[in-house]
Amino acid sequence: MITARNVTYSYDDVVLDDVSLSIPAGEFCLLVGPNGSGKTTLVRQFNGLLTPDNGTVTVDGSDVADDPVATRTSVGMVFQHPRDQFVAATVGADVAFGPENLGLDRDDIDRRVTEALAAVDLDGREDERLDELSGGEQARVAIAGALAMEPSYLVLDEPLVGLDWPARESVLTQLDRLHTEGTALVVVTHDLRDLYERADRIVGLRDGQVVLDDDPATALDAVADLGVRDPRC
Amino acid sequence: MSQEYESVDLVGDETVKQFTGAVLIAALTAVLAQLSIPLPGGLPPFSLQPFGMFFAGLLLGPLWGGFAWALYILVGIAGVPVFSNGNAGLGYVLVGQGTGGFLVGFFAGAVVSGAIVHRGLQPRSLASLSVPMQAAGCVAAVAVVYAIGVPWLGSVLGLPLTRAASIMAPYLPLDLVKLAVAVGIVGGGSLATR
Amino acid sequence: MLSYRPGETFVHRLDPRSKLLVQFGLAIAVFSRPTVPVTAAATLLTLGMLAAARLSPLAVIRAYWVVVAVLALGPVIAGVALGPPWFRFEPALRSARAVVRIVPLLFVSAAYLTTTPVRETRAAVQRLIPGKAGQLFGVGMALVIRLFPVLYQDISEVRDAIRARGGERRPFYVRARLLAVRSLERTMDRSDRLGMALRARCFAWNPTLPPLAFERRDYPVLVLGAVLTLSPLTLLL
Repeated sequence: MITARNVTYSYDDVVLDDVSLSIPAGEFCLLVGPNGSGKTTLVRQFNGLLTPDNGTVTVDGSDVADDPVATRTSVGMVFQHPRDQFVAATVGADVAFGPENLGLDRDDIDRRVTEALAAVDLDGREDERLDELSGGEQARVAIAGALAMEPSYLVLDEPLVGLDWPARESVLTQLDRLHTEGTALVVVTHDLRDLYERADRIVGLRDGQVVLDDDPATALDAVADLGVRDPRC
Repeated sequence: MSQEYESVDLVGDETVKQFTGAVLIAALTAVLAQLSIPLPGGLPPFSLQPFGMFFAGLLLGPLWGGFAWALYILVGIAGVPVFSNGNAGLGYVLVGQGTGGFLVGFFAGAVVSGAIVHRGLQPRSLASLSVPMQAAGCVAAVAVVYAIGVPWLGSVLGLPLTRAASIMAPYLPLDLVKLAVAVGIVGGGSLATR
Repeated sequence: MLSYRPGETFVHRLDPRSKLLVQFGLAIAVFSRPTVPVTAAATLLTLGMLAAARLSPLAVIRAYWVVVAVLALGPVIAGVALGPPWFRFEPALRSARAVVRIVPLLFVSAAYLTTTPVRETRAAVQRLIPGKAGQLFGVGMALVIRLFPVLYQDISEVRDAIRARGGERRPFYVRARLLAVRSLERTMDRSDRLGMALRARCFAWNPTLPPLAFERRDYPVLVLGAVLTLSPLTLLL
């Protein structure tokens, strides 16, 4: 369970105003809201990339500030632009970066890279150059980079933006598989198409406050107020 | 949460910030080295590479500015075509001058200008730096580049110092124009993002 | 341009640290003793290295032709005099002797970079530079290599945008300023995002290092590198 209690945070014009929210293990949760509502700022509190001004964030009962390594292995993060989060020129070297930082044996690292790439249907593509991959493949390598840390929770910031139809389908397939295998997913999005049917819950944010928290069927009636189109229309 | 990674020693947030800044300035220098604006009248082309040195010193300070340039040179030695005209290799660094120029001098220039402008190892915020001080730091950097580059060129080509200096003389006014442009960008508030 | 070519030659299979040591040792030896026998011996040695790496010396000269052309001008510039006899041979010869020292250095660095994948040099740097600095240099090299094409594309877009709006007609210093300021902004925008990505993946001081091991074939090469590196000491005798 990821639990945020009375979190406040301010930076430039983005604020979080007394946000309390829990994400149980295994849940598929969508986080929606207009630009500047604080979605990205909130999820960056979940693995301690940002520290709240007031309030606490815990993951499985431990405060995220107490053990950043445990937090960041437990809560994986996939950022919006795959191009900006790669740290190496080739697929295998990039996916290995996280496990290397954990100081694992080389065999263990190789096993994790192989498994993470298999999980996103990129088996055996270790030696390919990231720049030569399609947008959808890059998005999946970014997911593999997070999976190699073997997280229990995976946060994805706008994972479908800028992807063409086949790439979208392939990322959605990976999300379904992860959800089935028990990984909790938190997807930040401003577009509910193809996502709302899969989710257990939709949380809406506006001006740094939680203004909506419901199961998808009910929540969809209210999303128009958050600058998000009702995908059923 | 698992406790299995107790030995992991995370790089501190402030260090990560300076490190990513230096990495990006090194990569920017690699790109700028590939670009030049042709000039009329038989003048040497206006290479953008020296901006890499000015930005490193002004934005990153002596430690991280020097780190950025050391990184850039190492990547070139490793064989990535990051030097002017897509050159690479230790041989090119030692030759010091094709049209590429003065790599070791630029490294030293970044350190010197960073030290003068920031007066300490860690960079200070740009708002607290006076423009005359930035200009002074960059002038010193150019002086260092020539103080290292001209004798180096003389030694590589087996020329007396005066003759090496006369070869390099046409570049000096261009470097001073670049200096003025760089200080104008950094000190004159043209940078919206910082 | 020269770049890494996969292969199975003796030189390919050497540890990058052995090759780096020979490269630096040769530079030290050649520059500390600018005599004809030393330069000739170094040239023969590096020709042998090129042969072992299956690389033609002509290909090296062609790849470095700008450098070679500038070097070739050296003796001409050295010999020209402002009065009679207009050209003097003695300084030209001195320059020529200095310039030919560069040839073995270009050969050895070409042999290095065509036989050594960049990730191996990165691994060598991470092991050779001790402690935290080595880690920052190792990861930093990987990141610069990754970001170079990304920024190149960014900055080409900036340049095209300036051209599209008639920037060619502006004075060169205005164009330089526009290009530099927009390039710097786009570059620094990426810095925060890269920092977040590194921290999210537990960027640490003590990671598992890239695999690298000396083999038996490396030892004679290491000895050669050490002898070359220490050769200036014989000047003291």
